Amino acid sequence: MSEVARYSRRLVLGAGVAMAATVALGCSLGGPLGSAAFAADTVKLGVSIPAATHGFTGGIVWWANQAKAELEKAHPNLKITVKTASGAPEQANQLQDLVTVTKIDSLVIFPFESAALTQPVMQAKKKNVYVTVVDRGLTDPSAQDAYIAGDNTAFGRIPAEYIAKTYNGKANIVALRGIPTTLDNERWEAFTGVLKQYPDIKILDGKYANWNRDDAFKVTQDFLTRFKDIDVVWAADDDMAFGVLKAIEQAKRTDIKEVFGGAGSKTMVKTILDGSNPLIRADVSYSPKFIYDAIKMTAEARLKGDRLPATHIIPSALITKENAKEFYFPDSPY
Amino acid sequence: MSLHVAFDGITKEFGPVRVLHGVSFDLHPGRVHGLLGENGAGKSTLMKILAGYHAATSGTLSIDGEPVVFRTSRDAEKRGIVLIHQELSLADDLTVAQNMFLGHEIRRGWLLDDRAMRARAADALRQVGFERDPDTKVRDLIVAEKQLVEIAKAQLRNARLLIMDEPTASLTPSECDRLFGLIERLRRDGVTIVYISHKLDEVERITDEVIVMRDGRFVARAPTAETPRQRMATLMVGRELTDMFPDKHIPIRGPALGTPLMAVRGLTVPGWAEDVSFDLHPGEILGFAGLVGAGRTELFEGILGLRPRSGGTVEIEGRPVSLRTPRAAMRNGLTYLSEDRKGKGLHVTMGLRDNLTLMTLRHHARPLLSPASEERALEHAVASFGIRGNPQGTAASLSGGNQQKLAIAKFLEPDPRVFVLDEPTRGVDVGAKRDIYFLIARLAAEGRGVIVISSELIELIGLCHRVIVMRGRRVSATVPADRLSEEELIAHAIGTNAGTNIGTDIGTNARP
Amino acid sequence: MSAARSARRFDPHRFGPVVGLLLLLIVGTALNPDFATWDNLMNVLTRTAFIGIISIGMCFVIISGGIDLSVGSMAALIAGGMILLMNALAGSVGSPVAVVALGMLFALLLGGGFGLAHGYLITRGRIEPFIVTLGTLGIFRALLTWLADGGAITLDNDLSDAYGPVYYGSLLGIPVPVWVFLLVSVAGGILLNRTAFGRYVQAIGSNEQVARFAAVDVDRVKLLTYGLLGVCVGIATVLYVPRLGSASPTTGLLWELEAIAAVIVGGTSFKGGEGRIAGTVIGAVLLSVISNILNLTSIISVYLNAAVQGCVIIAVAFLQRRRP
Repeated sequence: MSEVARYSRRLVLGAGVAMAATVALGCSLGGPLGSAAFAADTVKLGVSIPAATHGFTGGIVWWANQAKAELEKAHPNLKITVKTASGAPEQANQLQDLVTVTKIDSLVIFPFESAALTQPVMQAKKKNVYVTVVDRGLTDPSAQDAYIAGDNTAFGRIPAEYIAKTYNGKANIVALRGIPTTLDNERWEAFTGVLKQYPDIKILDGKYANWNRDDAFKVTQDFLTRFKDIDVVWAADDDMAFGVLKAIEQAKRTDIKEVFGGAGSKTMVKTILDGSNPLIRADVSYSPKFIYDAIKMTAEARLKGDRLPATHIIPSALITKENAKEFYFPDSPY
Repeated sequence: MSLHVAFDGITKEFGPVRVLHGVSFDLHPGRVHGLLGENGAGKSTLMKILAGYHAATSGTLSIDGEPVVFRTSRDAEKRGIVLIHQELSLADDLTVAQNMFLGHEIRRGWLLDDRAMRARAADALRQVGFERDPDTKVRDLIVAEKQLVEIAKAQLRNARLLIMDEPTASLTPSECDRLFGLIERLRRDGVTIVYISHKLDEVERITDEVIVMRDGRFVARAPTAETPRQRMATLMVGRELTDMFPDKHIPIRGPALGTPLMAVRGLTVPGWAEDVSFDLHPGEILGFAGLVGAGRTELFEGILGLRPRSGGTVEIEGRPVSLRTPRAAMRNGLTYLSEDRKGKGLHVTMGLRDNLTLMTLRHHARPLLSPASEERALEHAVASFGIRGNPQGTAASLSGGNQQKLAIAKFLEPDPRVFVLDEPTRGVDVGAKRDIYFLIARLAAEGRGVIVISSELIELIGLCHRVIVMRGRRVSATVPADRLSEEELIAHAIGTNAGTNIGTDIGTNARP
Repeated sequence: MSAARSARRFDPHRFGPVVGLLLLLIVGTALNPDFATWDNLMNVLTRTAFIGIISIGMCFVIISGGIDLSVGSMAALIAGGMILLMNALAGSVGSPVAVVALGMLFALLLGGGFGLAHGYLITRGRIEPFIVTLGTLGIFRALLTWLADGGAITLDNDLSDAYGPVYYGSLLGIPVPVWVFLLVSVAGGILLNRTAFGRYVQAIGSNEQVARFAAVDVDRVKLLTYGLLGVCVGIATVLYVPRLGSASPTTGLLWELEAIAAVIVGGTSFKGGEGRIAGTVIGAVLLSVISNILNLTSIISVYLNAAVQGCVIIAVAFLQRRRP
């Protein structure tokens, strides 16, 4: 039905999904841990992330727990509490619980929305919690101690540059977009911004497919009905690229030369590595692994009593057959 | 102070059905009027017009000589006219005080002034002798207390004319006495009262004059003191009883002989019926009498498995049967038509055909349902039960009497050996009543056993071969045909001093 | 047949959904000539098949006065479960076709089982259907997310090739899912209008007490409506899985709302008692035609897609509204 409904539905559904995630992560998660009686050199780190509702967030949850397992093993005086939320209000509530019940002293947060979570994070910071914000920056940067993010501009810029170069500044493109958010807008503006410089590259249309395979399939089917000559599909997400490929396969269209996904999922990277699908030749990295990096950096800095640099951008890179090996993590679900 | 009300040629039609045919009479200020009439005589409809719930189709209503049209009950209340409903109209989940001010809340600015409302409610309640906290939830009150709340609420609105529809239906004798005292006091205060009741002894006791209606028409009015009860009854019914009922001496095949068609022994439905035993013979019409709450309906719901039973056995044609659901009962040759026709008897929004064949769809499935076969069943039922109305309309489009005939036809479709009818003529006009009585006699003559549960004593007396009277969950007597009389039945129904509570009707219509 | 019947047949409100669909078809063709092509129409019908089949089961549940919010999650879990089973069987059972057949059987059984479990909790447990299925909505999707580790469960490649024709194949030029949709619709219509079960469903929705007093085994009929819906979800999933060959936490997202909307837009009363299978089918098609048209044009800002869909749904509901 509607994107808006879908989005809010996704949040509602998340209630169940959050439960699932909690169950899935099992006993290892632990509840509010320990007491404050331990020495000051104990670091209690809270991690607040979105629940696993699609491949990318699934990867976020997996990498967060990976970090927890590895770091707690390496540092006995480190306690990490991972909480997943299915919407901004739930995340704000969890934040309060982390501060008042779990009594964390450090926080790594992947905010659902920038604006809605700025105040709740500010409250945490006022209680002397060291705050690392991941991926989506807060509207008031003074609420955060450090900011670690993937490069959303590059997420849109790199495929645009790649397409412009590969097709010598001349191509017909259809694009799929995610869910209407600032994140999606940043990528879209970067993508269209680059291609404006190439008068012979036409973006025929861009429609939302909600970072969802099934919607991507339907939208692509209709694009194929509507446009008889397409060179490249920018799917803007590896999950969506999957649906795109199926729709092209069904329609037996041969005009399409390439499908460009995004985020560097395990299966896509493998496909590039093996060269097993002629339509998939490149991708842009935007790995959920940055949550792992953020937790690790924060925990280690805090254990030493250091501070992190105010801003740390984890660069996105073009993945091609040559460098695909570096981006392949067979154990990650994503 | 007091109100003078004049009805002049009031008619009322509900769709094609005309329920009031030009009624004209006056209500005199400061008097207590007994309004008498059978079910369907039009008393309640007329009073709802007076209280602003219905609009008259034609005719004039005048208050103190001035013609008025009430669009809502609020308009009527403004003139001091309040109807206390037969089904009490209080919201269960609100408190007494909240109910009394519902729609007339006292405000202070934007907020409700609870304190003022509570104080005024308490004041009004004290006057009617209600002794509980006005913050009590209405859900927690007994019926008599709800009645008092309704009257207190009416007084809060400065009622000058109070209409009471069957107010004593669910009251104990002492509660009745208190109510009568209150009515007397209201009258002394100059309030005009219309008192609708089937209980002629009450009418005799508290009213100044009686007004009788029949079949939607005004029949007579007379000072109460000059009208003996017998005269009231004759005016209400308007014909000799013998006309209404079929000849009871249809030869029946020896009720006392052979195996009973149905034998119930020691049946207990916890909270409703205890240790009930009776036999029903082929060709017999067995009546069940008793006050509301005596457990008659619940006994049969228990037999059908709709309420838990804690003991007792049921045999049909000599075989012990275990009836857990109405379906099991039907398979064993027993069907039950509930007193609640719209709630439990018919799907009013569905068609006649779908209603009729619901219990016997298997007969019309080969294996898919055959509309033609169902249509034949309907044609047959329409002819043999005299159902009048559009056969392709919905059940709701039929008049009450024809709905009842359809319901009877429906529950006879499975061809039961034992047929139980609960209040078979409730809300049915006189003509259809007669049809139904003759139909019941015909069913018995075919050798079925028929059980009639009724609150209309005349019906039981005119129709039944035997009447079982229940009192306080138990069988208090079994009265054979030759001893059936109102006095006898009432004596057994209330247990003691039969003389004080004689009327044409010992049950009520106010079952929830 | 009879006078009133034919009178009802000429009731314009009954044709609200048809009129709405026809108008949409005209608008679609006017906006983009490619809309009226055979391929596009088959695309739309094929993708309607899942929701449509579920809607037909949902129609029975809603007519009986119930509701099932879990169908989308249920489809996702069945999809995940059957893929895992087929992948596991691929080693031991030789022929991929046999594996796929077993997987399909499993999906139908699982769907029926879930549905009966709902029915059992609702009738014997005396829990509101809204609550039961809201609960399982979370449970089913959570289980799938857990099974998939938050990612996707993907069907093995050779199985995918064997299974593909169930979605991508055609018979007489009409895609397989459309045939199945048609069959389920016809069967649903017969079941509702020409069998005792269907009549009981309507009787229960119209007034449960009356049905109970009329010797209808209310609990059993209700139980079966949920079981029937479960099987419909199973069928839909059997058709869905070969499309992408995978199940993920986004599979079947919002299907429950689409299915319920299709039923109600099609003229079934949300209160129960009265409903139409043909209307439901049209309702389901109508919903996917709207988004198809929006995809085929760009005259309306993508930000407003949801608003357009909302307006069309309300307009159609208005056309088929009941007179008071």
